[in-house]
Amino acid sequence: MSDAIPKPLPHPDRDSEPYWKALSQGRFQLQRCGSCNALRWPPRALCNRCVGFEFEWVDVATTGRIVSWTRTHQVFAPAYRGEVPYTTVAVALDAQEDISMIGGWSTDRDPRAGETVRIRLVDAPEGFKLPCWEPA
Amino acid sequence: MSLRDQVAIVGIGCTEFSKDSGVSTLTLAARAILAAVEDAGVQASELDGIATFRVGDSVPPAILAQSLGIRDLRYFVDQFGGGSVSHSIVGQAALAIHAGIAETVVCYRALNARSEFRMGGTGRPPVDAIETQYQAPFGYFTPPQQFAMAARAHMERYGTSAEQLGAVAVQQRANASLNERAMMRKPISLDDYLASRWIVEPFRLLDCCLETDGAVALLLTSAERARDLRQDPILISGVTWGSGQTLYSNQQPDSTRTSAADMAPRLFEMAGVGPHDIDVAELYDCFSYSVLVQLEDYGFCKKGEGGAFVESGATALGGSLPVNTHGGFLSEGYVHGLNHVYEAVSQLRGDAGERQVENAQVALSAAQPGYVSGNTSALVLRRDS
Repeated sequence: MSDAIPKPLPHPDRDSEPYWKALSQGRFQLQRCGSCNALRWPPRALCNRCVGFEFEWVDVATTGRIVSWTRTHQVFAPAYRGEVPYTTVAVALDAQEDISMIGGWSTDRDPRAGETVRIRLVDAPEGFKLPCWEPA
Repeated sequence: MSLRDQVAIVGIGCTEFSKDSGVSTLTLAARAILAAVEDAGVQASELDGIATFRVGDSVPPAILAQSLGIRDLRYFVDQFGGGSVSHSIVGQAALAIHAGIAETVVCYRALNARSEFRMGGTGRPPVDAIETQYQAPFGYFTPPQQFAMAARAHMERYGTSAEQLGAVAVQQRANASLNERAMMRKPISLDDYLASRWIVEPFRLLDCCLETDGAVALLLTSAERARDLRQDPILISGVTWGSGQTLYSNQQPDSTRTSAADMAPRLFEMAGVGPHDIDVAELYDCFSYSVLVQLEDYGFCKKGEGGAFVESGATALGGSLPVNTHGGFLSEGYVHGLNHVYEAVSQLRGDAGERQVENAQVALSAAQPGYVSGNTSALVLRRDS
């Protein structure tokens, strides 16, 4: 029964729907604050620097650097039984270095802390594209 | 008037810690509460406040009030949250007593975290939290993955080693070997640690907490009334809440620092003590690394030197700051932070048997330091002198 649980997909909400939609169209977009120009992460209505509500979705640099990484050996959900071990990275974006996000790693060798990486969009079910990372 | 030393923990109770309790969380909670009531030498009918925290995995206060025959509950807390809020419910109870809302409040945490509801979505879909959507699609949705990410960053930045993480596990197991409540009592060596299998690199099996069925309860009343009860009162000298950024929210460029670093100064100021006054520390150890980062963020050693501090033996029994004297989550059991408070009270009473820290007067007990949730909480406790 539990084997029927599929791999989790993104579940866009009212704040994040444009983020996932842009990715599905091959574009990496974040919100830029209409008041102070800071980028926001994760997607949300208001800016945590100036508390402004205005924003626009803008294309941002698709590069960053590795902050940290892990390799998962334990099967935490049945859908990953054939996937372990797999590597996950935390990347600080070049677009704004205080934004870091989790992503997949699609290269055979281990990531190195501090190395420069770029996005590689990986197809997922239901038309989603997931932002994974590879050496730049 | 300050809350410092105005409220006391006068009773502690717990159930057996096991992998399969065979009973409901209501039964576990009731057993622990009645044990705490008995320990304090009061009657269950005197309880007029109940506080707990949970993540949709346990019995709520209203059901316990009905089950215990409490007809007029004057105060309750049903806090949503995990380990980061564990110590905050004790603070809530102390505030209610100090404000005259209630007189005798019991705090509990009851969970079947191995046989029923395993943390981290193991065998279930991931939790539906706002940030989950940015992590779970990469197969990243459990606490060991999240804390491993921080541990690796710390290792890269400060040179923290596997052997230093292992020293935490080895020391805590040695403590657990002296604790009749502990689930894991057979001593381990550093070689045992290094040979244990990977869970999420850089964490091995022995870096990770147990999954436990069990409950702990703490009974609180005013310090004034406490002096007429059976046990030596253990005073709440300081209690604080803290919050900050997580790895996933911008403005947090450094994942090796936790919300506890911002909160610790006001905790110590409230209690009127400093890190050097702490005789024993019970630190939230969901993973070995969590101990290292708290030793730094509470100011027991310099930033980046938590690993060396543990490796020096300072945190072992007989060291300058014994830590997790019960064995912690790694070896005693995982009762989500309240078993740390239970142990701190035992140490301050002088009731900790073979693992007793000599002349323990002041203790720190700390919740998950905020790396994942952005929240934290902690207590400074002391003997009534």
